[in-house]
Amino acid sequence: MSLPNPFPLNNGKKATCREMLQVILDDEASTEQREYFKAHMEFCMPCFKDYELNIAIKQLLQAKCNSVAPEGLKEQIRNRIAQII
Amino acid sequence: MEEVVRQHYADHEKQEIFDKEFLPHIHSMYNFGYRLTLDRDDAKDLVQDTYFKAYRFIESFQKGTNAKAWLFRILKNSFINDYRKKVKEPNKVDYQEVESYYNSDDVDRQITPDLRVEALRDMIGDEISNALNALDVDFRTVIILCDLEGFKYEEMAKILDIPIGTVRSRLHRARQLLKEKLSEYARSMGYKNT
Repeated sequence: MSLPNPFPLNNGKKATCREMLQVILDDEASTEQREYFKAHMEFCMPCFKDYELNIAIKQLLQAKCNSVAPEGLKEQIRNRIAQII
Repeated sequence: MEEVVRQHYADHEKQEIFDKEFLPHIHSMYNFGYRLTLDRDDAKDLVQDTYFKAYRFIESFQKGTNAKAWLFRILKNSFINDYRKKVKEPNKVDYQEVESYYNSDDVDRQITPDLRVEALRDMIGDEISNALNALDVDFRTVIILCDLEGFKYEEMAKILDIPIGTVRSRLHRARQLLKEKLSEYARSMGYKNT
């Protein structure tokens, strides 16, 4: 457990748990950052709990907050554009 | 802002770009429109207007670049210009508040309501959708762009015309607010804060 910390320093200080977690959640992390955070979660319970909760919310969003465009909308758009061509 | 290089496309090329690069995003566009306007009819109109504009200004689009981000930006601008006035939404995000959070580390871990994964598993109805819709439109937007559409900071910054730092802080705040809403639901479902 001595991976070098791949998260950038913030004002000379190493990244806090919250900063690391956000990089992960926002899907902006590199492979090294992901690995490091995974190892970090093994001994940081608050991070582990936060991570689990946020991932569960994300999955719920993806399962419940998408919609399908109404039938015929594509056709309406095509028709409207055909009028200006 | 990057300079827009005008392209020249023949009619059949325009048609091809429109069909192959623009129209496949219709469901994401409709969902974005719906989450912005919170009205299915308005969403339909907004998506139609967006595609109409996209066709008219197709020569500002560079083939092979990110069509989805380009379309989302037009939709968001149309919403601000044409719809936001209609929708009663006077409460703007307090940017000062949003920006200042970065200076106060670990403050919000304490104020974060304790919401448990088990409670989320029981939210099988419209709870999450209602919670999302209840957020201020600027917060709602970043959640949709990041968590539903998978846009990166840089793309979100371009779509929303805001700096990357603001994208990051707004997302952070949005996640906090969403959690607060969800824990209200959890409480009403009988989950105790532990």
